[in-house]
Amino acid sequence: MKKSTIIVIAVIAIIAIWGVSSYNGMVKMEETVNTEWSNVENQYQRRSDLIPNLVNTVKGYASHEKETFQAVVDARTKATQMTISADDLTPEKMQEFQKVQGEVGSALGRLLAITEAYPDLKANENFKELQAQLEGTENRISVERKKFNDAARSYNTAIRTFPRNLLAGIFGFDKRPYFEAEEGAEKAPKVEF
Amino acid sequence: MKRPTLLCLFLLLLAITTIQAKEYTVKDIPMVHLQNRTRYVSNPDGILSSAAVATMDSILYALEQKTGIQTVVAVVTGIEGGDCFDFAYRLGEETGVGQKGRDNGLVILLSTDERCIQFATGYGLEGTLPDALCKRIQNRYMLPHFKDNDWDTGMVEGIRAINGYLDGSMENTDDEEDEDVMAVVLTLLAFCGIIGIVIVYLVWRANRCPNCKKHQLQRVNSQVIARNNGIKTEEVTYLCRHCGHTFTRREKSEDENYRGPRNHGGGTIFMGGGFGGSSGGGFSGGSFGGGSFGGGGAGSRF
Repeated sequence: MKKSTIIVIAVIAIIAIWGVSSYNGMVKMEETVNTEWSNVENQYQRRSDLIPNLVNTVKGYASHEKETFQAVVDARTKATQMTISADDLTPEKMQEFQKVQGEVGSALGRLLAITEAYPDLKANENFKELQAQLEGTENRISVERKKFNDAARSYNTAIRTFPRNLLAGIFGFDKRPYFEAEEGAEKAPKVEF
Repeated sequence: MKRPTLLCLFLLLLAITTIQAKEYTVKDIPMVHLQNRTRYVSNPDGILSSAAVATMDSILYALEQKTGIQTVVAVVTGIEGGDCFDFAYRLGEETGVGQKGRDNGLVILLSTDERCIQFATGYGLEGTLPDALCKRIQNRYMLPHFKDNDWDTGMVEGIRAINGYLDGSMENTDDEEDEDVMAVVLTLLAFCGIIGIVIVYLVWRANRCPNCKKHQLQRVNSQVIARNNGIKTEEVTYLCRHCGHTFTRREKSEDENYRGPRNHGGGTIFMGGGFGGSSGGGFSGGSFGGGSFGGGGAGSRF
């Protein structure tokens, strides 16, 4: 065999090995982003699951605050209807998801604000624990959002840096949107005892 | 004139530094467990009495022995940022408390300036120690004492209550060790495989006829031309059974009959190596497995 043939084969082999390993790396990172996304959705779902119980508990003490209850229930219904699969996570859909969930957050905030006026309710053990669960869920949401953003950032960096962007272009690896910084409406309802 | 001004400046500086030193960052919290594996309670400001710390340490040590649940307790005067949940969560992630894969770490933070108590549970503890339960423990056992600034009683009672819920909730299994062993074995196997392939290739290449490139050489004659320091140089004649080409090649090999000192390095490459890298618990220092946190737990202010 000629030396030049060997060199050509070696170069091709090196390129092939690089291509396979960076393709696999990108697939792995994409999967991480997808997993993180489903974690985020799970935590939002968990918050939605808490709402009926919370509303019922508050109803027992403040039955006339009908509008507030209705607002929470409506926002929840709207939010649970919206699930986005991680594969078609476009910036527009992401924004809508955030908006819908933000409405749930602000409705919950108003609900918790009116409970301040009912000392009996605030002393209720069941309500205290529900509130702890809600607070924990809000914490989990913010943790998972952060983890999702981290995963999406490293994935986006990977697919957009040269020379991997060529490969990403060929195989259709798309950029993923981030969660925007918390808006006022979305801030977790802080409850102090 | 000058001296009093300097003194004032010095005092001011001292005051500023002492105020700043009170605000802990996550990295500032001394990890006593890493020095001594029977200790879990980090009490750098001496807020708790040593008797209370010893009681808590012994409860938590027994808990880890039985269930594998690892705990970090931090009792400080103040934290940077003032967000107790965030601090406790980051402390958990930073230290990696909890066994890897089981994520059964628990962080308990008490900050007397923020007047907050915060639990952070690892992913694997969220089921056995749900947020509502954390809150109940705080409300029943800790807050009544904290309101009177009785840190000792509140912390010890809280730890006792936590231990009551967690004791017997899971078994202490050390899965991670097995995984480590598996990884080492696999690496070794791969290593041996590569060496084997290289040897096979070298033999295969040596067995090739330079004339017709076929692998049908036959050794027909050999003649020793030199013996030097245990290395034997031979002139070997080969015959290709395919094309009938004959040629000679010089080959060096070990001399079986040699009895003197050998001064070559072959065969001793691996003398200095050795696969160390065993992980975990030194002689007395402990370690955390690298558990992960997802924002579980609950906090209260008082």
